[in-house]
Amino acid sequence: MVSISTLRRTGGLADGQTAKAGLVACVFLSALPTVRLSAQGDVDRLAFRFASMTAVTGLEQAMVDSLRALFPGSTRDQAGNVTLTLGQGSPKRLFTCPLDEVGYVVGNILPDGFLLLRRVGGGGGGRTASPLFDQQLEGHRVTVFGARSAVPGVVAVKSTHLTRGRVATGAGAPDPVFTVDNAYVDVGASSAAEVQGLGIAVLAPVSLAKRPQLYGERLLAAPAAGRRAACAALAAAVQAKPKVKGTVVVAFTVQSLYASNAGLASVKARLGPFDDIKTAALPARYADTAAETVALADADRLVREIRQWMEGR
Amino acid sequence: MRAVVAATALLTALPACRLAAQDSTRIAEAQAVLAPLVESYGVSGAEGPVREAVKRLLPAWAVPSTDTAGNLVVRVGQGDPVVVFIAHLDEIGFRVTGIRDDGALELETRGGFFPSLFEAKPALVHTDQGDVAGVFLPRDSGFTRRTPPPLRVSVGTASRAATMARGVSPGQTVTMPKQYIRLTGTRATGRSFDDRVGSAAQLMALRRLDRAALKHQVVFIWSVREEIGLEGAEAAAASLGTTPRRVYAIDTFVSADSPLELPSFAVAPIGRGAVARALDNSSVTPPAYVDSLVQVARARGVALQVGTTNGGNDGSVFTPYGVVDVPIGWPLRYSHSPAEVIDLKDVVSLADMIRAVAETW
Repeated sequence: MVSISTLRRTGGLADGQTAKAGLVACVFLSALPTVRLSAQGDVDRLAFRFASMTAVTGLEQAMVDSLRALFPGSTRDQAGNVTLTLGQGSPKRLFTCPLDEVGYVVGNILPDGFLLLRRVGGGGGGRTASPLFDQQLEGHRVTVFGARSAVPGVVAVKSTHLTRGRVATGAGAPDPVFTVDNAYVDVGASSAAEVQGLGIAVLAPVSLAKRPQLYGERLLAAPAAGRRAACAALAAAVQAKPKVKGTVVVAFTVQSLYASNAGLASVKARLGPFDDIKTAALPARYADTAAETVALADADRLVREIRQWMEGR
Repeated sequence: MRAVVAATALLTALPACRLAAQDSTRIAEAQAVLAPLVESYGVSGAEGPVREAVKRLLPAWAVPSTDTAGNLVVRVGQGDPVVVFIAHLDEIGFRVTGIRDDGALELETRGGFFPSLFEAKPALVHTDQGDVAGVFLPRDSGFTRRTPPPLRVSVGTASRAATMARGVSPGQTVTMPKQYIRLTGTRATGRSFDDRVGSAAQLMALRRLDRAALKHQVVFIWSVREEIGLEGAEAAAASLGTTPRRVYAIDTFVSADSPLELPSFAVAPIGRGAVARALDNSSVTPPAYVDSLVQVARARGVALQVGTTNGGNDGSVFTPYGVVDVPIGWPLRYSHSPAEVIDLKDVVSLADMIRAVAETW
């Protein structure tokens, strides 16, 4: 059954081609730093901004709306992809970047106000999450994207003091990893009604609180930093207004981690065929962790390579 | 780079210290005192920033002094019997023990906690010239175990020399970035509520204290190095000797108010007031003193729970001098984690309890 809150998350009627960003954008933007996106294509700023965003696979609407605001003239297709057509004529080429990330949704709301989670993505399809992926939640702050606002919460962890004298810690003692089934989210509520009063319902997206960290020489650490910096490079290349050879379709795609990369497949089916297809990607250290690190110097190089490709050089 | 780090921290801030529309004056006061303490860094042995934050928040009339151990002390009133309130300034974290050839930092823990909570998370190295950003490195292997091998930190360098050029050296402390964040209602989350809440409550009590009502001298201490063995309190206790009659350790009551905890003890729900920490791993409060505490609370209309939990408290090192330890806490969820949760109502209750005890007992 589709609830009102589900419709709200999509920003309008489910199949509306002209759906407004409206409420969803407000929800999303209220949770973000107020970094103004200039048209000058500052890849550092874009990478930082994108790394601050949350786009749980299949639930990327908020980031999509943000990208549409960044690129006037872009469109959102039925799958949720953001596409922008540059130039005209042939050859007709496609440059893509996947937006989405492995994340969570609220799976259940308990009578005492705690939330339980279901992971979305990372369960197969060529991209299986590490056994430690869910452990990153334990004892950390998360953001629950409710229908009215981004709600801060934390994932419960045992108090270290109360384990004393109860858990064997010697060599060979059981030391099981933390799994999503143990992830009780505490938003400070004491009842299910209080949770619902915050605009939180089953299926609300949830992610680790995003606080990208710049360190070293232009290193950016954040969950999914590699993907986000690659998308930032593509966005910066487009903002630089390249002299495109033929037609280049730029697509920021959804659901790359689910349903056989349905977002990209949809773009190909609707806007193809294409003479050439490229996907933005950057090498990342500590992949799939909250400290995933990308070198922004690599993003600079990617911007140049994308522009050269678009210009047919 | 440090400017960038600072900007990063600023720009990523959620509406951290928002005042909820329904906040009472007291809740707003508790938040105003607590938030800057929580957002100060002070691993055991490096409590300077927190001590300075406490000094800034003292009432104008208070004359603080710092003893040789680093404890901050404020004395109020005159005469016997002297009573002592003590809350600790320090927080758990790491200390740099070495710098590897590849530039990564080797660490030792300061205090007890689950190291997995820091693995693959942002890091801050606290240097004399400011904070240097980095990351706690994820393990290379060992996916089947929850606990990682000893943690290391990268500050984004590839050699020992490059790391040292950033001002990093052995002996410095390491934590992760933290923020005070309001949750729903009167609840809040952050790291190092243990024992910034105690420190804040002492400040709030001092601000409202009726000094003319005091019948004896009251010594307020903000202690150092509690998490690594009550070291600051030991120095204070030795200095005061047999002079005090009672010591009130103002510290966390680690609560089982969580779906992950056993309800066999430590049952003090958050939001229901301060807690007489009548039995822990370091001390047992004589029952008559627990009764007196309850009596004071009732007389003043202050919410007070009574319970038993784990952990030690600063007051316990005063007992060899014949001083009675009467620990008072507040309930805390998820202790020693980056996501501790409190209820601000309990901070108010704790402050009122301290004031009531100082003025009437």
